[in-house]
Amino acid sequence: MNENQINDIDQQLYKIDRLTLLDCKQISFRKEKSGFLTLTYKGETFHRIDPTRLIPFFSKTTYISLSYENGEREFCEVGVIKDMKELDEEQYGILDSFLEYKYYMPEITKVSGIRDNMQGSIFVRADTTSGEKTICVRDWYQNFRMLTDKYLYVNDADGNKYFCSDINKLDRKSRSVLEMFT
Amino acid sequence: MDLRLKLPEPAPEGVVYSLPFGFAPDGEKCDGVFTVAGKDGCYHIYIYINGTAEEKYPLKDFREFRCRQQIGTSMAQGELKNGDVLCLCAFTQDLFLRYAQLMKLLEHYLRTGELLTDTGDDEPVCHRCGLPLENGQECVFCKSKGSTMLRLLKRIGPYKKYFITAVVCTVFSELIWVLMPYLDRLMIDRYVTPKLKDYSGLAAIALMAVTLLLMAGASEYLNMKNSFRAALNLGRDLREEVFEKSQQMSMGMVSKRTAGELINRVSGDAAKLEEFITANGKDAIVKILSLLIIGVLLFVMDWRLALMTILPVPVVFLIVGKLFDMMAIRYTKVWKTSTAHSEVLHDILNGIRVVKSFGSESREIAHYENCSMKWARACVRAEIMWYLTIPLSEFILTLGNFFVLYFGGKMVLGHTMTLGQLIQFTTYVAMLYEPINWMIHIPRTLADASVSAGKVFEILDLRPDVVDSTDAVDLDIKGDIEFDGVYFGYKVYNPVLKDISCHIKQGEMVGIVGHSGVGKSTMINLILRLYDCTQGEIRIDGVPIKNISQKSLRSQIGVVLQETFLFDGSVLDNIAYAKPGAPFEDVIKAAKAAYAHEFITRLPDGYNTHVGNKGFQLSGGERQRIAIARALLHDPKIMILDEATASLDTRTEKQIQNALAELTEGRTTIAIAHRLSTLSGADRLIVLDKGRLAETGTHSELMSREGVYYRLVMAQRQTTKMRAVKTEQA
Repeated sequence: MNENQINDIDQQLYKIDRLTLLDCKQISFRKEKSGFLTLTYKGETFHRIDPTRLIPFFSKTTYISLSYENGEREFCEVGVIKDMKELDEEQYGILDSFLEYKYYMPEITKVSGIRDNMQGSIFVRADTTSGEKTICVRDWYQNFRMLTDKYLYVNDADGNKYFCSDINKLDRKSRSVLEMFT
Repeated sequence: MDLRLKLPEPAPEGVVYSLPFGFAPDGEKCDGVFTVAGKDGCYHIYIYINGTAEEKYPLKDFREFRCRQQIGTSMAQGELKNGDVLCLCAFTQDLFLRYAQLMKLLEHYLRTGELLTDTGDDEPVCHRCGLPLENGQECVFCKSKGSTMLRLLKRIGPYKKYFITAVVCTVFSELIWVLMPYLDRLMIDRYVTPKLKDYSGLAAIALMAVTLLLMAGASEYLNMKNSFRAALNLGRDLREEVFEKSQQMSMGMVSKRTAGELINRVSGDAAKLEEFITANGKDAIVKILSLLIIGVLLFVMDWRLALMTILPVPVVFLIVGKLFDMMAIRYTKVWKTSTAHSEVLHDILNGIRVVKSFGSESREIAHYENCSMKWARACVRAEIMWYLTIPLSEFILTLGNFFVLYFGGKMVLGHTMTLGQLIQFTTYVAMLYEPINWMIHIPRTLADASVSAGKVFEILDLRPDVVDSTDAVDLDIKGDIEFDGVYFGYKVYNPVLKDISCHIKQGEMVGIVGHSGVGKSTMINLILRLYDCTQGEIRIDGVPIKNISQKSLRSQIGVVLQETFLFDGSVLDNIAYAKPGAPFEDVIKAAKAAYAHEFITRLPDGYNTHVGNKGFQLSGGERQRIAIARALLHDPKIMILDEATASLDTRTEKQIQNALAELTEGRTTIAIAHRLSTLSGADRLIVLDKGRLAETGTHSELMSREGVYYRLVMAQRQTTKMRAVKTEQA
């Protein structure tokens, strides 16, 4: 094995250790038919880019990882966008709409009642940004929890996710209903 | 599963499947329908968006279909024969299972050319909670179970003898206490008020009072003895049952709960219920009885005064009724914070080595203090609420007493009532307030206990998801293992293993290799039946694994893992764990074969050496050799080595390899190792890639094939070389 080959492998092996923060001015997205995005960055084109929020509960627009699966279905990361604000308006719009769709999560705006069946499941009657729902939560200690003092995260029996970014901003009745379970 | 949920309008001819979706392929929200229709082997996919057929794809143009689960949405994708991938539609997670099933059926069509039209109906679901009904029965989540507390009281059944004795004794002593005021009345009216110096009469009353007091004492003793027996036995039953259930739970169920939470339920909640039964179980019967007896007595003596006495009672009960819900909320909060506290405590103490090695003691102290403070605050909130309301309720309750004293006093002065009668009456009033007061306090104890009862029954009512079939047999395993089209995913429809078919012959040593996360340990979990496979079948000696009793199966499989768990006990205890009661000589033989005897002999207390919590007093290699000795003593028919030597240095690994050679002799052995050199002794290697069985064969066969295994070996060799070069350079 020659020196160049060793260097190539060395690069492949240690590339994953580096955090590549992307220069937002050189990013260009395009929606593609696969449901993912095509990224052009510094003249190079990457297909089937699947953007991921690295800290989805703390920030929706910072630290966005841009990655794809290669032919071997291995994870390949192009880099990380530190703050989407640095993107121009059009690119921001494309990325934001993709993330909003990927992380589609109705927000809870009102809680009218919660019934506990004393079997680990609760049934939450709530108004959400996608309408009024009865959310069935199994194993509620795990799936109905406060991630911070104010952020409520709900994962229902079907796998749908809901959230309330600040339960203190809900009306008084909702807060009192939630009190027992948060 | 119904795959014709929503038809487009107008619908194309020959609709086979038709499902709604909420997001167009570009991610925009829409009202869409995914339809597969056609006839005579010519089928098309139609994508309708907001009522218009936007796309039409011939089914035969595709080579693969898949369902890709994202975070809040999922998408159905199809890969065309030219390699292009299309997003067909996207949907929320409630439709995921249907689309996953649909994609599987389309895949089936691509493989066989047959489009299955009969997809069956939906599993019946509960109309209240929407969860599936098992075998069409009543929903286990919603069926009326009666009060949780009633269930708790019903568990007294086996100890009813003690319980009834306790109740009878309490009723008896209550009756004695009811008699005492009557003796007071006799004494006052016959001897004190007339100042009659008949000492023999006085002595007779005093003697009677002493006798009654002695009888009350004896009865109280019997009552306490029996009620404690009933309660402590009930507590023990609950603790044991919760623990037993935690042992019966499948790995999937156990991993959902933290050890701290389970510990809290086994000890904390069961103890609370035990206390509740001791303090309140029988009291409920007795207090209600004494309320009735004393109430009747008061009305018989003077109904007007009796009415004055009970006048404030409805007001008090109104307050208490309101209080119950508020207390239940506060005690649930107390329960949650106490469980969180246990979890944190368990976590920190369990990971004490990590805490100390990172020097993060002060951070963990602050973390613990925060949890402890939250718990204390929740308790304070619950108690403050209680103590703000209760003194007021008690004051309102005793208002009746003032009326009785005022009007009763007037009656005594007006000679319509004797002093003795008034004293007897007021004593009864005081006695009446006792059960009422008890009832006032009940919401607090009941709320607290019902929260704990709910949590305990929640565990007891769990249905294990890996169960023995009704005709499960105890099989004398020879060691022939067969995977037949096995699919499995920790999340259904997100398979980790796909279509695995292989045959491991009796006595053969097989190595499973592949990248991390490819499903190697999952294969082993399925052989151990820690989980059931989603599709396909695993057979041992030709018998489907589901038909072999779990106890029989696991008792004949030995496992040595990378992380060895030793129980807090001696070396002897830990080796003999595999076969309790094994002769000591067998233990030594196993230790010798595992190359462990030598270091054990050098330990100060030999086989009686205490290994400490998780065996931390021993080195990694020593712990591993004890684990191998344990597996040898177990004498399993099938041996599983999951990265058994991964964490050891080369010298120790060599010794362990020798020990393993003893262990695997003549047994079917399945070994997993990242370090491929570890598997040099394997008869055959199974190579997994992307969840599928990529290749199988001996080391040299696979190397000559230059496939997945070859690439793995080459990559590993190069990494080793590079590490060596880097070390030299350094």
